[in-house]
Amino acid sequence: MTNPDYQPSEKDYLQKIKVEDAVGLTLGHDITEVRPGEYKGPSFRKGHTVEQRDLCHLMRLGKRHLYVLDLDKNQVHEDDAVIELARALAGPGVTFESSPREGKIQLIAAYDGLFKVRVDPLIEFNMVPDVMCASLHNNTPAKKGHRLAGTRAIPLVIDRDVLDQAVSLAREAFPIFAVKVFNPVTARLIITGNEVYEGLIEDRFEAIVSRKLTTYGATLAETVILPDDRNRIASTVRRFIDAGTDLIITTGGMSVDPDDVTRLGIQAAGVHPMYYGAAVLPGAMFLLAYHENIPVVGIPACGLYHETTIFDLMLPRLLAGETPDNRDLARLAHGGLCLDCTTCRYPDCSFGKTG
Amino acid sequence: MQDFKTLLDGSAKAHGHLCPGQVVGVRMAMVGCDLIALDNPSQLPQIKKIIVYVEIDRCATDAIAYVTGVKLGRRSLKFIDNGIMAATFVNLETDQAFRVRSTEKSRDLAAEYAPDIKDKHAQQLEAYMRMPADLLFDIQAVKVKIPAHDMPGPTRFKATCQNCGVVVRDKKEVYQNGKILCRSCAFGAYYQRIDTGT
Repeated sequence: MTNPDYQPSEKDYLQKIKVEDAVGLTLGHDITEVRPGEYKGPSFRKGHTVEQRDLCHLMRLGKRHLYVLDLDKNQVHEDDAVIELARALAGPGVTFESSPREGKIQLIAAYDGLFKVRVDPLIEFNMVPDVMCASLHNNTPAKKGHRLAGTRAIPLVIDRDVLDQAVSLAREAFPIFAVKVFNPVTARLIITGNEVYEGLIEDRFEAIVSRKLTTYGATLAETVILPDDRNRIASTVRRFIDAGTDLIITTGGMSVDPDDVTRLGIQAAGVHPMYYGAAVLPGAMFLLAYHENIPVVGIPACGLYHETTIFDLMLPRLLAGETPDNRDLARLAHGGLCLDCTTCRYPDCSFGKTG
Repeated sequence: MQDFKTLLDGSAKAHGHLCPGQVVGVRMAMVGCDLIALDNPSQLPQIKKIIVYVEIDRCATDAIAYVTGVKLGRRSLKFIDNGIMAATFVNLETDQAFRVRSTEKSRDLAAEYAPDIKDKHAQQLEAYMRMPADLLFDIQAVKVKIPAHDMPGPTRFKATCQNCGVVVRDKKEVYQNGKILCRSCAFGAYYQRIDTGT
């Protein structure tokens, strides 16, 4: 994309040719046909090789001259080039449109999952002259068929050497784009708090957690409400581990009050490592721990009051089989501030877009 | 395109019997092809311009395939396992597409259109031939985005399962927990291995 030495020049591969002299040559642009009330679209597409039988049709469309492409063997038309670029960029779980539109191809999700971007190679790809690719952010949850990225060769014709350089760079960094499938996770939930346990207030966490799990195809197999009792929390976490749970979620008890003992209970269950605190608002008091490969998360009370919190950022990654650590939690800092809009627009906002 | 009677005879022969599903399928295909302006879809050059998505695997599906010439092996016939008597006809050249769905009311109207026939099966068969297309079908103009890996043509995508080593074509691999896997390794197979002891 970046070319500090760029100089606009006459395109010597575009020639204006009389229609009757164009047989055997390649069209440099789409030719649109409009039949009122019946059809509007390209009758001849860019790249079409003009045949004798096309001449009458072109004349009927009022064409007396055409731009034709006269490419040498080291030049590639943008429509051919962009397919090579898309193939090199699209890793597992990523596919693309079958034909370019206006020289561009959109890369799309082949199935539901977590969109992964290798950011540094993507930047290097965009340092190659005459090609570009723009994508959604790394770690964006994706639905099958949704747009993930777009790529194109910038000029109408690109040099073969330049195209090969971009393709080779993408192949060496394969996969620059991928979609990790969400695992069919079985989750169990511990809701902590004396006030809920004693029936003084009604729990609202279970419905929220269940809805968010279901969005990604995970299942909430069991919910237990416990008082703020370190030992009972620890023994329930251990029971959940023994029951074959893929993801253990706790809610409440993450703050600094003397009764907030949930993280102590999780620690007593024998998890390691355990990370407490994240660079996200809302979600600073988030807890993430592991028992072998089983994640244990602690959602602070903000999960009740905010539509979107750190839980929404971490859940897709955990369901995709990732094991984020303290550096990942710190990396969320850049973009980790929720604007707390009146109507939540997440994921169509900056929240969690760490780049 | 051949006339309805000729197509129905051919379809019934290819399918193995004449049934109401054959009538519905032949008519659905004729309507669909007409809508996307293909009058000879089973022959070159039109054979390369059509893709049909069928939403059920019953008698009508064979009739649609017979009339249009679409085939699973050519990648021009796509099976969407919805259990709905519907098919979407796509003209790849113009991007025109129409979804044609068999109506439930056509079943209720069978007696009205073939009152002279008492046997239900025979009555449906005859009624579906007589019934106007606008009663037999609901038709919807649609847009179908066909990704590159679903297009006809040579295999363009191959991946190797990092668990069992099998080659997976056409982007059907899955990226699970950091590994590229075939769907059997990722999600389990539809079959169970039998240990033959050899």
